[in-house]
Amino acid sequence: MNRSKRITLNLFRGAGLAFYLFIAVFPLLWIFITSIKPSAEVYTFPIKYWPSKVSFESYRYLFEFADFGKYFLNSLFVSITASLVSTLIALFSGYVLARMRFRGKSVLVIFLFFVQMIPAYLLMIPQYSMFSSFDLINKLSGIILVYIGLGAAFSTIMARGFFVRIPVSLEESALMDGCTRLKALFKVTLPLMLPGVAAIFSFSFVQNWNEIFTAALFLNSDSKMTVPVALYSFISKAGIQWNVLAAGIVVSLIPTIFVFAFAQKYIVAGLTKGSVKE
Amino acid sequence: MKNRKRFWFIFWMLVPVFSVVGFLSIYPTIKGFILAFQNYTVFTFNRIRFIGWDNFEEIITDMDFLMILRNTLVWIAVSVFFQLLMGLGLALLLRKPFKGRGLYSGLVFYPWALSGFAIGLLWSWLLNGQFGIVNDVLIKLNFIEEGIQFLSNPDTAMLSVLIVNIWYGIPFFAIMCLAALQSIPDSVYEAADIDGASGWAKLVKITLPYIRPTIISTVLVRSIWIMNFPDVIYGMTRGGPAKSTEILSTYMINIVYYENDYSKASAVGVLVILLLLIYTILYLSFSKGGEVEI
Repeated sequence: MNRSKRITLNLFRGAGLAFYLFIAVFPLLWIFITSIKPSAEVYTFPIKYWPSKVSFESYRYLFEFADFGKYFLNSLFVSITASLVSTLIALFSGYVLARMRFRGKSVLVIFLFFVQMIPAYLLMIPQYSMFSSFDLINKLSGIILVYIGLGAAFSTIMARGFFVRIPVSLEESALMDGCTRLKALFKVTLPLMLPGVAAIFSFSFVQNWNEIFTAALFLNSDSKMTVPVALYSFISKAGIQWNVLAAGIVVSLIPTIFVFAFAQKYIVAGLTKGSVKE
Repeated sequence: MKNRKRFWFIFWMLVPVFSVVGFLSIYPTIKGFILAFQNYTVFTFNRIRFIGWDNFEEIITDMDFLMILRNTLVWIAVSVFFQLLMGLGLALLLRKPFKGRGLYSGLVFYPWALSGFAIGLLWSWLLNGQFGIVNDVLIKLNFIEEGIQFLSNPDTAMLSVLIVNIWYGIPFFAIMCLAALQSIPDSVYEAADIDGASGWAKLVKITLPYIRPTIISTVLVRSIWIMNFPDVIYGMTRGGPAKSTEILSTYMINIVYYENDYSKASAVGVLVILLLLIYTILYLSFSKGGEVEI
């Protein structure tokens, strides 16, 4: 390839990369700028691209008057607990589905593959009627249970994918030495699979953190709301200022951005490397 | 003896996941079918009885039902097509290493992990008819004279939610395509270079055929996912105005939240499940029951 052609190609590539970067980052940047505007500058025309004075009044309002800290903690508690449980469940089942040979195994795997496609909103009404009889409505424990159910199947599929990629040899020699299988799993294989565990946990955390429809149906008292439900209740309230809503959005996105920054590499590996293939 | 021990080991390791799935996914699905033939609403919860096909009749005779079906198809097809196109474009740009590629991909991939609902809210501010930055820029560039009411006008609402959904889905397709691209051995390209193949020829003759299986399975699985992804719409329009952005999933959720008619909503759910089943059977016969990929 000659020189000038290569330069043109690189220019195109640079322009393409800049375009994608701009459209990806700008919306978030703009909502952040909105959140640090003083109330008086949110509804002005022409638009102010930068506040005359950076103000955190929206954040103060959010945490002092709207009790957003409570919702944030609720969300953290629910998401972390549910993700921990479904990750643990997935390690047991993923291990067996990756390592042991037995009849009907592939049927079970395909079954789980289809189960994980059932979306939350299709299950929420029957779950609501079931959970009413167990008095689990409007309780964080109820929503945790729902999220464990939503995450378990996919976490298993992911765990299985990670186990398949870890060589059996080490584990076999541990078994030879008289180690039990469960011990070999936790002492020998699991330490090699920590990135996988991180991926399963983070993926599940992100799903739980973002779930809104079941939570909005189940959690109807103010003290039990999770972050998405709180945002939803904000927009139904008349007179909510957009700088406050913007601050709520920013706060609600921070944990998933944080998790994504740390676990992206592992999650991507878990999603892309033949999760179901032998 | 050893065999029996092995059996119980497998059994107990699988018990947690299958009891969770059975209790929280399979049983509710079956119960949903039953509810669809009953009259379970907020007001009748203590005198539930079977009412036959009434709920289904009510839905199908709904004046807007055909429009909702059409919206659902448009929602899936347009979203998937452009998500794939733009995701593939991004993946191609990222194939060759460059300085800072790791950081760059983090910055362009991040929307993938964010809440669809919050993203919908965020964009409804950007697209605000009076104080939105998009209108502001369009006016400054002299494309328009006054702000477009993107979300409160039925003619532009669907387009708006589609654009946001495409934006949201680019990273997922880019991640999948990039992984497939990176599995193409360099030697194939080197051989093509020796033969003097042009960049375009390499794209059409090598790259695309190589990643075709990934593209097909990603599109098929993702279509279902998008059909069941009301989050962005819910953050922007909740299916409005005048049901112009209503798809099956938002329709069902709106019946739950605003009509409190759980049985009618369950009937919509049954229709969704039937559509999914038909799609799945077609998908399995299409991929010959062989490889299932996420």
